Amino acid sequence: MTVTATPQDGRRGSSEPLWRALAVFRFASVGYAALRLAVIDRAEYSRPEWAWAVIALMAAWTVGTTIAYARPERRTRVLLSIDLAVTAGLLLSTAALQFPQAPRHGVTPVTATWLAGPVLAWGIRYGRRAGAIAALIMCGCDVVLIRPAAVGVGLNGLVLLLLAGVIVGHVARLDAEVEEERQHVIEVEAASRERERLARDIHDSVLQVLALVQRRGAEAGGAAAELGRLAGQQEAALRALVGSGTGSTAAGGAPGAPGNVDLRTVMLSAQTDRVTVSVPAQAVLLPKAAADELASAMRAALDNVRRHCADGTRAWVLVEDEPGLVTVTIRDDGPGIADGRLAEAVAAGRLGVSHSIRGRLRDLGGSASISSVPGEGTEVELRLPRRADAPVARVTGTGLGCGRGTQRPDPGHGGR
Amino acid sequence: MERSGPIRVMVVDDHPMWRDAVARDLAEAGYDVVATAADGAQALRLTGAVRPDVVVLDLQLPDMSGVDVTRGLRVTCPAARVLVLSASGEQQDVLDAVKAGAVGYLLKSAARPEFLDAVRRTADGDAVFTPGLAALVLGEFRRLASAPAADGGDTPSLTERETEILRMVATGMSYKQIASRLVLSHRTVQNHVQNSLGKLHLHNRVELVRYAIEHGLAGPSEPAGAP
Repeated sequence: MTVTATPQDGRRGSSEPLWRALAVFRFASVGYAALRLAVIDRAEYSRPEWAWAVIALMAAWTVGTTIAYARPERRTRVLLSIDLAVTAGLLLSTAALQFPQAPRHGVTPVTATWLAGPVLAWGIRYGRRAGAIAALIMCGCDVVLIRPAAVGVGLNGLVLLLLAGVIVGHVARLDAEVEEERQHVIEVEAASRERERLARDIHDSVLQVLALVQRRGAEAGGAAAELGRLAGQQEAALRALVGSGTGSTAAGGAPGAPGNVDLRTVMLSAQTDRVTVSVPAQAVLLPKAAADELASAMRAALDNVRRHCADGTRAWVLVEDEPGLVTVTIRDDGPGIADGRLAEAVAAGRLGVSHSIRGRLRDLGGSASISSVPGEGTEVELRLPRRADAPVARVTGTGLGCGRGTQRPDPGHGGR
Repeated sequence: MERSGPIRVMVVDDHPMWRDAVARDLAEAGYDVVATAADGAQALRLTGAVRPDVVVLDLQLPDMSGVDVTRGLRVTCPAARVLVLSASGEQQDVLDAVKAGAVGYLLKSAARPEFLDAVRRTADGDAVFTPGLAALVLGEFRRLASAPAADGGDTPSLTERETEILRMVATGMSYKQIASRLVLSHRTVQNHVQNSLGKLHLHNRVELVRYAIEHGLAGPSEPAGAP
């Protein structure tokens, strides 16, 4: 007798061991019932030959149900109900087989432990409650059989039957839940693997071609240079998109740091053919609000470069992460601002961008400084001290010990 | 370094369009492209025979990681200098390759003159410090400084001057600009930059040995996990 688990029935698939256990239990119980009849309770039977007939029926029914329950699609309510009815009927037949006073001597019904079969089946198939109800029905039959006077003697058995129904139902349900969760995890894993594969593919093909177009375009000059510039922008945008796909999962999955994002991902989105963003290799985790504010301040500074400097002006953004401090530096190679003019502009309230940058940083508890040397561009430095709770988040990003440099890069921080 | 004849370059990139474009650029500029390879194994096989001065290496290869190729090159052809040319967004990979012995890092989108100049400087033994690489090295020293002191106290650190200079490189300043800002010679600036990379290489070698011994990979005499 083989019981085959059908893989397509994912939810029920995990309860197969329970069904197999049930079949074993039923066969063993038939054997036990036969043993009791033959050896232990022999003298208590008024019609032993009929009792043997009942045992034979039990054996036949056990074979039948085992074959029937082997296929998940046959475990229907109807079959389980019939199983329950047949078992109850055989249990009740005891009344006609034993001497009336037998229950009072502690003799078990002819079915002995076999009566638990359908109770367990209901529990496995439909959970705790169904197991309990089936157990109560079976208990009811038993009580009718042994008559009120002897209930005390058989009470333990009834309670155990009820418990068995409930517990097996509970285990089966737990099993199904674990299975469901497992399926979910597998799906999520497959999805993220697929996303990583896509990112890798894009990285290996599209980004390379775009970078090449950008490079060739710049050399060809004229209209081609414009094409090259556009390709460069698209390359930067696509790279940021691909990077953020894996980056955000890394930040989201950082233990102990819910709501933290990787400042690098946010900052790298500003990279264009004119703006170079340089970051450390490790994730720079900050609360999302703080990262967004820093990004806004950076964008304000870059906007300022675009607005006030010549077209070809380049800018660099540097992200630094020290234990107590995150620093973002934005430097351009524009003409710079003459010494007195910066203070003058601030005094006159004209340097809106400086106000907005300083204001944002002040609100975050940090500071911003703007310095400029005429002819050497302008440098904006945003400094954001980490709060006391932040170092925890940092440790998750960096605390991988001294062997790290020799291992494969941690996928969470690879930032592909 | 004295060299007779043109600089010998090997290009390793799995993208045929890129490989050819880079090789053509180099050839047109008078470099001797001695070999091209599409994967790490091929690159390692060829280096022994062609003895390039510079290996232009893409980190994303189908068969091996860029770090492993870099490490392998240190064994098969110690004289070759590795210039990493990466598509970007691979900070950890770049850092690992640099720690494994690569001496320069350039974005693939870099303009042709910038690229050709980088190859020449790599051949001359200068570290090609783009802003991106400077930021990675700065970050790595900060990570080492804040990591638990399980390293036994030999954690390398940057001097204040080195940090200052690396920050300037990372914000796009040229050596010339830095030299004039700090009133130093161009050569001094270059030495400071070179030293910071040297400390990292040295430390990484120590780490490699320790890692190999701890994991029973090799005896102390055989540190750099040969491929």
